[in-house]
Amino acid sequence: MSDLISIKGGRDGLRLRLDDAVDWQVLREALSQQLAQKSGFFVGARLMLEIGDRTLSDVQMATLLEIMQQHGVQVESVGATARESRDAARASGLTARPLPRYPEPAVPTAANEHDGMLVTRTLRSGQVLRHHGNITLIGDMNPGAELIAGGSVVVWGRLRGLVHAGALGNAEAVVCALELRPTQLRIAEQITRAPDGAGRNGPETARIEGGQIVVEPWEGSKRG
Amino acid sequence: MARIITITSGKGGVGKTTTTANLGTALAMQGAKVAVIDADIGLRNLDVVMGLENRIVYDLVDVVEGRARLRQALIKDKRLPELCLMPAAQTRDKDAVSPAQMIDLTNQLRQEFDYVLIDSPAGIEGGFRNAIAGADEVVIVTTPEVSAVRDADRIVGLVEAAEKGPPSLIVNRIKPRLVNRGEMLSVDDVLELLAIQLIGIVPDDETIVTSTNRGEAVVYDQSSLAGRAFLNIARRITGENVPFMAITDQQSMFERLFGMFGRRRS
Repeated sequence: MSDLISIKGGRDGLRLRLDDAVDWQVLREALSQQLAQKSGFFVGARLMLEIGDRTLSDVQMATLLEIMQQHGVQVESVGATARESRDAARASGLTARPLPRYPEPAVPTAANEHDGMLVTRTLRSGQVLRHHGNITLIGDMNPGAELIAGGSVVVWGRLRGLVHAGALGNAEAVVCALELRPTQLRIAEQITRAPDGAGRNGPETARIEGGQIVVEPWEGSKRG
Repeated sequence: MARIITITSGKGGVGKTTTTANLGTALAMQGAKVAVIDADIGLRNLDVVMGLENRIVYDLVDVVEGRARLRQALIKDKRLPELCLMPAAQTRDKDAVSPAQMIDLTNQLRQEFDYVLIDSPAGIEGGFRNAIAGADEVVIVTTPEVSAVRDADRIVGLVEAAEKGPPSLIVNRIKPRLVNRGEMLSVDDVLELLAIQLIGIVPDDETIVTSTNRGEAVVYDQSSLAGRAFLNIARRITGENVPFMAITDQQSMFERLFGMFGRRRS
């Protein structure tokens, strides 16, 4: 992932942080490119945009939002240290909040794919979990729900909706579930759907092997 | 202390209005003071199903906008003096009322009734949000069809997000013969997905059509299976422990017997 743009998923949603030092033109191009490349992760997302110390005019803010919209991303709020940027965000009809002028001292620990999110509940139709790292769901996932992870997905329960692991391009990501019956399963760029009719029972793992998604029953002893 | 219960489903045409009318009637038959509210503004039906259409003078929007007092808009049922209907406006739409106004309205009704049942419109938009705004509890109606169950699942998520607590479930229009042949989702299939408390199973029953068209609740009809099912649900709502009816009819019992002989011979 480009250093200029970092993605972070939390319980309160996704955060997209834009570098605040690089030239505006460069940033704009980097953003377009990132969104296009990782479209599987971003389409339909609602996120918080953090532009740091950069001062954006109304026009620049509008351009930014337009780029996001073109890629199916909805910006919910903008965080900025500069008052001008916050005013520009409000002019575009967004909520704006101030960021601390010196953000977390240990900056910028780039969000990494080994981060994880643990959720314990039933994920129902229309509900989406999106995280830049791994997602673990303890509970059932029903048809019509979506799980989108930059890393791997583990469902301790029945997986029955749409799942996308490695949505930021990681082809090493895996999906495993006690009962793997997704309506559609994606890993990185690969897409597959469950075969019609009853599937196998018992835990299974899906991974990419030889450029294809392969689903195998979980056999603990075979794997080190 | 009054209980405000919203009846909703997500998908249209699964029997919300019939359920509201019959549960309201059944609760009133047990002596409770009941108000049923039609929250489906612009597509009002509850008055028709209860046979009260020709008595409407004021409606819910008139009350909310201050043109009528609460008492003026409440229509007494034909048979049961304990049962009242608050009709929806037909010439307005869902935006005529806000969730805050619904909360206010239900709080006023709370003073005078034991149960307030709210008939929600289909969908997940403003009308649905209005209908659950004032609710203490939510009952979800579904039919044993994949699409209806999918929508019910979505509604469960929204009800939980609105912090109304886990909703309870009525499975409507079960066709015993199809279930026995494995051609229809069973109640267990529905429960396995939705994982919420079941409070009623209503068999598919032609008497519903005739009684609805006549504007009479089916719970008056002792011979109707659906009528008995609704009575049972009302008793469960009041806290009684009523066993669930067996989902078989006599015809299907015979069929299963013959089916068994048939299989043995082959």
